[in-house]
Amino acid sequence: MLERISFRFNRRALLRALPIVAVSAVLVAGILANGLSAAHADGVADIKKRGKMMVATEDDFKPFEFMEDGVSKGYDNDLLAEVKKSLPFGVEQQVIPWAGILPGVTTGKYDIAVTAVLVTAARKPTFTFSSPVAQSTTFFATKAGSSIKKAADLEGKTVGAQAGSAMLADLKAFDASLKAKGGKGLAKIVEYPSNPEAYQDCALGRVDAVVNTEINLRSLVKEKAGVFALGEGIAKPVYIAWAMKKGNTDLAKLIDAAIIAAKKSGKMAELQMKWFGTSFKEMPDDVN
Amino acid sequence: MTAYDYFSIAHGALATISISLAAIVLGVPLGLGLALVRWSRLPVFNQFATGYVSVIRTCPSVTLALLIFFALPEVGLSLDPVPAGILTLTLSTAAFNTEIWRNALMNFPRDQYEAALSFGMSRSVRFRRIVLPQIIRASLPALVNEMTLLIKSSPAVAVIGIVEITRAAIRVGARTYEPLPPFVFALVLYSLIVFLFVMTQRYVERRYAAGAAA
Repeated sequence: MLERISFRFNRRALLRALPIVAVSAVLVAGILANGLSAAHADGVADIKKRGKMMVATEDDFKPFEFMEDGVSKGYDNDLLAEVKKSLPFGVEQQVIPWAGILPGVTTGKYDIAVTAVLVTAARKPTFTFSSPVAQSTTFFATKAGSSIKKAADLEGKTVGAQAGSAMLADLKAFDASLKAKGGKGLAKIVEYPSNPEAYQDCALGRVDAVVNTEINLRSLVKEKAGVFALGEGIAKPVYIAWAMKKGNTDLAKLIDAAIIAAKKSGKMAELQMKWFGTSFKEMPDDVN
Repeated sequence: MTAYDYFSIAHGALATISISLAAIVLGVPLGLGLALVRWSRLPVFNQFATGYVSVIRTCPSVTLALLIFFALPEVGLSLDPVPAGILTLTLSTAAFNTEIWRNALMNFPRDQYEAALSFGMSRSVRFRRIVLPQIIRASLPALVNEMTLLIKSSPAVAVIGIVEITRAAIRVGARTYEPLPPFVFALVLYSLIVFLFVMTQRYVERRYAAGAAA
């Protein structure tokens, strides 16, 4: 077609351009390969060269971290301010959503995730964790004035949890342990897309109890004191720590020293009381 | 919601508008360029353009943003959130714009082109004077439609740390445990922005209509 022909590129001209294309391709490949080795430099040495440690923090996980009047606040931020005092380099903090935090650490965009990262078996091969900063135990809560007080009282009751959560897995394990002891276990486990729905149904009496972490449920019970009551733990505690790329032990040593110092001085317990209304006294120094 | 909360969401609107505008300013000509490559069937480049459009059209904006922000440092190109966000939206909107421009080019009346040839116009004059003004007019409604879709897909770049309207609203809701008021305010802001785009489109179309009548 006429209009196409007039726009068509001369094939011979293209052949003449081929050596130029080939040379630039080799150059680009060289630059990329060079960058590849630079992006995988050593932890602390790299930070010192840059002059600052890159930190990623979440923005919507109250009370650990949340935004107020444009400033990142919460437990982790207070603790980071304490840790910063003993670091030999500056800190640059970026506030990004949870979905970007762990990928940012594994790809080397950030040196450390200063946010509530649960230390799980699945994450251990990928991350080096700092000394734990908090602990999370799966608790249950009931409607205020309920007859369910102890974990054993849940026998034959209906309990709600968030679908896909670690707390739901804990609840299922708890159910199995009730049955293993010869009981009849829970009557039913109801799964919800998110926690507020589970709370709502508990307040309405559709489920007898809900499970979530102790910290979240304390915050709920504090906010809506007449509606809910806190129960007790149904699983072993899981630790919450800051995450670094696996093998970044130089940095982990610096961070751990500062966290352990805050723990010994009582500063950490003070911050935990301030943000969680409780403090965790028996956490190990190393959870890796 | 405090006064600062309203301010923070309005500030998010500024981010939404500026990264969307940047993506439009870069993505519309890029789409035109790629459409011309496809139209003229340049060897190699044509296959590249076809491949680009097919790949980007299947890739969700969130995935593309994560890829650009976290995978590019692996090959030594580390971008800050704002350039990475603009790049994401530009690459994504350019693919859709390519198809819009290509559609206008394919429907371009061939007799006009031949008439221009017979007047001895050079290739660039033919394009500037005859083809471009008409394909702009033909593509405008579809381009503006794509722009409004772009604005509404811009929350995808929040995943790499850009605080646009939706993210600012989520932050407020996460602090107050009351998500409804910030989202209603966000909805009002999105409506206003899209309304402005559509008004501009109507204005330009009326100008074209007046020009054609004169």
